[in-house]
Amino acid sequence: MNERAEVATREESSLERSHDIPHIAPLVDIYENKDEILLHVDMPGVDKKDITVNIDNGKLYLSGIRKIEAIGSVQWEEFGNLEYMRTFSVPQTIDSAKVNAELKDGVLRLHLPKSEAAKPRQIEIKSD
Amino acid sequence: MWTRWSDVDRMFNAMDLLQHRINRMYGDYGRLHGGRNEWEVTQSTPRTNLYDAGDHLSMKIEVPGMIKENLNIKVQGNYLEISGVRKSDEPEGYSAHRVERGTASFTRSFTLPTDIDTAKVEAKLANGLLTLTMPKQEAAKPKQIEIN
Repeated sequence: MNERAEVATREESSLERSHDIPHIAPLVDIYENKDEILLHVDMPGVDKKDITVNIDNGKLYLSGIRKIEAIGSVQWEEFGNLEYMRTFSVPQTIDSAKVNAELKDGVLRLHLPKSEAAKPRQIEIKSD
Repeated sequence: MWTRWSDVDRMFNAMDLLQHRINRMYGDYGRLHGGRNEWEVTQSTPRTNLYDAGDHLSMKIEVPGMIKENLNIKVQGNYLEISGVRKSDEPEGYSAHRVERGTASFTRSFTLPTDIDTAKVEAKLANGLLTLTMPKQEAAKPKQIEIN
């Protein structure tokens, strides 16, 4: 087996040029009360239209793409374009149709309401 | 043996992939905050970018969850100081499962490359990014020289 021949037959089309932006996990706070689970996600600089939230098969996929436009020449740069990405497992008791989100001051607030069946219920004791 | 540049490229891509995986892993522990240097850990001061646009300097600062009342900006000559407090936004009546977003105060000061016109500095807060537009002093602005 000639190694040289192997190199020569390699297909150019398989060039994996993935000079993509870095993927970073955003910082998250998770709260819960009897009605819902609430997520606070830090996403500074991300526009509302660049955020996607997907719930599929018990997983919550969160993605936010940040584009920083440079004004003139760069003197120093400590942050840049990136994609905030994080995946969570969500309990089946979440009513995925009622999930809603708001973005304010670079913080995404994601409300995951629990379905009626999953809410704690007070059981009344009947007396004879 | 790498006979082609694409092989080297491919190798670096594989390294990038590994780096991303490790990042995601650490992210799950809430350690990594992100940034240009992906190996670095959470900083206590916000990250900044500085741009020089000829007649003015422009600075961007990451301040997620901060409102303008909690931010202070001081300028003098070519000295700039930004301080702020990040307050807890924990909602009432909820129990916390996980709290990664810290609450802290910070102060960061900079020596800018040129003197700025402190009276004309503008600050804008949008989407958790603070943008400062700082016009340069007349003497520091670039001048177009005409050839006679």
